[in-house]
Amino acid sequence: MEKVPSETVASPGNVVLTTIKKRWRAWLRALHRDVGYLAVGLTIIYAVSGLAINHIEDWDPNFKTYEKSYTIEPIDPALEDDAAVALALERLKVQGTPRSTYRAGDEVHLDFDSKRFVVIGDQVTEQGRSSRFFFRVANWLHYNRGKKAWTYVADVYAVLLLYLACSGLFMLKGKLGLRWRGALLVGLGAAVPIGYVVWSGGPDAANKQRAAPDAPSTSDERPDPP
Amino acid sequence: MRDPDQPDLDAHPELRRGWDRRQLLRSAAAGTALLALGGALYRIAADDLTRKARAEKRTDGRARLPPGQRVIEKLKDMGGDPGDGQAKSFRLRVHGHVKTPYELDYAQLLKLPQVEQTADVHCVTGWTVIGALFKGVQLATLAEKAGVKDGVRHVVLEAAHGYTANAPYAEAITPQNLVTYRMNGKPFALQHGAPVRGLIPDLYFWKSAKWLTGIKFVKDDEPGYWEVRGYHNHADPWKEERYA
Repeated sequence: MEKVPSETVASPGNVVLTTIKKRWRAWLRALHRDVGYLAVGLTIIYAVSGLAINHIEDWDPNFKTYEKSYTIEPIDPALEDDAAVALALERLKVQGTPRSTYRAGDEVHLDFDSKRFVVIGDQVTEQGRSSRFFFRVANWLHYNRGKKAWTYVADVYAVLLLYLACSGLFMLKGKLGLRWRGALLVGLGAAVPIGYVVWSGGPDAANKQRAAPDAPSTSDERPDPP
Repeated sequence: MRDPDQPDLDAHPELRRGWDRRQLLRSAAAGTALLALGGALYRIAADDLTRKARAEKRTDGRARLPPGQRVIEKLKDMGGDPGDGQAKSFRLRVHGHVKTPYELDYAQLLKLPQVEQTADVHCVTGWTVIGALFKGVQLATLAEKAGVKDGVRHVVLEAAHGYTANAPYAEAITPQNLVTYRMNGKPFALQHGAPVRGLIPDLYFWKSAKWLTGIKFVKDDEPGYWEVRGYHNHADPWKEERYA
């Protein structure tokens, strides 16, 4: 029987290696696609909430609020508390029963579930607020206020995002991949945060500026709002 | 007639895809630039209040507008974990290193000597509201009623859900610092600290704790919620003491 040279034998190891070499990019793409599908829900929550929170200075991402002012015939300060509250309710012509009422000094407070009225003399201030359901839930998840199991969910999501980012680098080969267009855009993407840190001076810029006597102010940082 | 700048796409259909994409990118870039320009113009036009405030001086000689601040017309909701907001359930505990600790409800607070004063408030995030009229009780009045003992050097404002903010005692008992329940003649909205909040206008506004529940006088400093999270312990806006 003729002896076959060892390098041409299709050993199981060689078959696996050859298959990986031929197929790895296709597997990477398939996994990228499925992880992408899996990440859609969380990405929408984190991205939308991120936009909302990023502009917290310009709007309230959790609640819709309103305030109205108007006048009514003043409540007689000599009235007993119950009578003053009843009269205020009558003059305000508001529907429903208040959750709580209170009188102190020249103020009559009427609290309802989603709004309240404060009558001071003849001045009425009506204040109300209602929840923005989606944003409130998304922000709650984003901030991880609930802690517990969500920490693990967020960790897994972060790992999935890392996979999406890294696998995305190698999905295409040639000029549309890392050889040309990919390298250019990856470089551009990395240059944005690096450039910003260099331009702004980074996290220690405010301290350095404060330490410098008579330095002109350039601070327009927007930290998390206290 | 064909645009001379545009390739003959009928003769060369293979160029159509690339050309359409280029057009789309150009349109998107032009739209973005237009939006950015509009936003910038709006911001410049709307900042008249800031320009005016920058030109003014306070009676103590300092600029009316601290560095890095811009003036807006009303308080912004900066978040936080609100209290229940009801005057009926409000209690203010005055305690710590004092001879007579006590607790006040809302009606009792209103019976103490009241002051009305205008003040400017400065948020660490960069906005300022100027000339707001606040009504309330001076922190000095509350301190005097409690009989602050020797050695007290700091005040801690306590608020709903364990929020705290600290301030030097000597600065906290100056006349402009209040426990306040009205701004511009109106009660505070829940998001702004109803029913009662602190007011220490010469420090960044996070020191003026919303949903106030207590005033504690202490000998040793007790950095508060934001102070232990990287914000400055003192928070003087004119020195831009924003971060530790």
